[in-house]
Amino acid sequence: MLVDQDTLGRRLGAEGYLADEGLLTALHLAGTLGLPLLLEGEPGVGKTEVANALARVLGRELIRLQCYEGLDASQALYEWDYPKQLLSLRAAEVEGRGIGDLYREEFLLQRPLLRSLRAASGAVLLIDEIDRADSEFEAFLLEFLGDFQITIPEIGTITAASVPFVVLTSNRTRELHDALKRRCLYHWIPFPDAERERAIIRAQAPGLDERSAARLVAAVHRIRGLALLKRPGIAESVSWARGVQTLTREGSSWLEAMRRSAGLLVKHEEDLALLGRHTAEVFGD
Amino acid sequence: MTEQSLLVRIGDHVHGFLRDLHDRGLPVPVPKQRVFLQAIEAVGPRDATHLYWIGVATLTTSHEDLEVYSPTFEHWFGEATARRVPDDEFPDDEAPAPRGKGDEAPLTAALGGEAGLKAGSSERERRPVFGPASEDDRAVLSLLRKELPGAVPTIRSRRRRPARRGPWIDVARICRESRRSHGEIVTLRRRNRPRRQRRVLLLIDVSGSMKQHSAHYLRFAHAVVGRLDRVEVFTFGTRLTRVTELLRARHVDAAVGSLSAVVLDAEGGTRIGASLQEFLANARHVTVARGALVIVLSDGLERGDCRPMQAAVRRLSLLSHRLLWWSPLACDPAYRPLTRGMSAVLGSVDALAGVRDLRTAYEQVQTLIRE
Repeated sequence: MLVDQDTLGRRLGAEGYLADEGLLTALHLAGTLGLPLLLEGEPGVGKTEVANALARVLGRELIRLQCYEGLDASQALYEWDYPKQLLSLRAAEVEGRGIGDLYREEFLLQRPLLRSLRAASGAVLLIDEIDRADSEFEAFLLEFLGDFQITIPEIGTITAASVPFVVLTSNRTRELHDALKRRCLYHWIPFPDAERERAIIRAQAPGLDERSAARLVAAVHRIRGLALLKRPGIAESVSWARGVQTLTREGSSWLEAMRRSAGLLVKHEEDLALLGRHTAEVFGD
Repeated sequence: MTEQSLLVRIGDHVHGFLRDLHDRGLPVPVPKQRVFLQAIEAVGPRDATHLYWIGVATLTTSHEDLEVYSPTFEHWFGEATARRVPDDEFPDDEAPAPRGKGDEAPLTAALGGEAGLKAGSSERERRPVFGPASEDDRAVLSLLRKELPGAVPTIRSRRRRPARRGPWIDVARICRESRRSHGEIVTLRRRNRPRRQRRVLLLIDVSGSMKQHSAHYLRFAHAVVGRLDRVEVFTFGTRLTRVTELLRARHVDAAVGSLSAVVLDAEGGTRIGASLQEFLANARHVTVARGALVIVLSDGLERGDCRPMQAAVRRLSLLSHRLLWWSPLACDPAYRPLTRGMSAVLGSVDALAGVRDLRTAYEQVQTLIRE
């Protein structure tokens, strides 16, 4: 990592991402020691966004691998361009020349992991929602995360030109394997405290005044205190703030706007009903 | 604390700190300890708070580890000024949903605070005994194992596999093979999306009113875990316990017998609503129920307020592919689900069937196959 922790914090802040000391320490260590960073936390607390912001701060390309059940090595690593190989074979036959090497660079389709290794100036590799992938894929990642190298049988072992900054995220829908966790630094992103969330909302919804942001965040914190099926994350509170802003510009009162756009914050019918029963305590000052 | 004194303290205390973590139940493997030391050397901690976060990033692997890590850190290096924001607090105005197995406060509070805690600890002294299976049971279990795969609904896999027939051309395989014939395509290969079993989730009531059926249900669960691909089993009485791993033991008596040590609420009270809500409050468990064949084995005799049970069953029904309710009471032809609990959840359940032992469970499995 080229920058110290304080500079990293300032630059992330300039990109609209306000990280607390714990997250900054984890990011700084990941960059300094060249280790992957595993981020966990409830949905919507900014796990994916931190990789985006980091790529902008470091001036590196963001390469994203979205995990899902059934993801396999060919979709994550590389694949041979079979139709191109076939055409090359037929052309060689027609022209009466030798077939040559069918495993040349030009036939190689690079997928996210390989691309991140080959990025000359380093990349930020986001392996998003690793818990959605199968445990076989997790095992496959071990070589990559341990040594930052991958082996292609026809070519050989490819080692990183510049170690990528790897961020893995997990929503903890299943337990990750210890071997994977051992190779990563770890940080749990909690819901932010009121002060930080106010700052985040003001950064993400420009034009919102201090008092409105405070009222909004107070309401969000009260709502998180209710027994909801799904507690709203920062992403939801930011979109709520933007929704409220839009409605107030169209003439709604602030309170009315908060009520009308509550669907941006909570997304379950049961949660909306619960919110309805606690209107006074949630929206009151 | 000055930087100098902190570094001195780290040097003095680091081994004791790491050993203490181990003693308190957070063993840190040597590679992680090495990374911790490398990190200290590389960045030079500014103060105790900075050191606290360096330790969090390098020594822990889950959020729950902080329960051991934080007090141990405090013991050795003093209090870090900026502490993590507690985010697991639930209010006490609505029915609180307990969060994971470490946090049983809402349940114990509902059971009568301290008195509930004492009752909980005395449960350890009278552990339930799940006796061995009889010869008849073994015969039925063997039949069950044969029939079970046919009873589970299937879903088309997202993965494409090589197949004789299928809508997709397998370009990779065709090209690989055609290289041997100088680019000539001899056989057209295809891919298909094979069908695979849906996940199965068993929620087994082990409360006092189910005493004579619990062992049968657990043996049934053992057959399901051993025979099907993706299964999760939980027991509930006054709390929720995940028992899938223990049921993986090969021998049915050993597996079911070992549950006596972990299912401490067996043969006690029933809190179906609270237990199901505890299940639904955990995002990991919710994923298990999504799109699954969910079978609740319970008589549905809920004590107290039935609304939490109704809400939980409704949500479970929305999450699952099919929600079956197997009750020993329904074996009686004269049974009508008129109790407050059962009548409230009946609308959310796909089928209510009578199952009181392995024989009746086998009959239900055959019914599922016919459907």
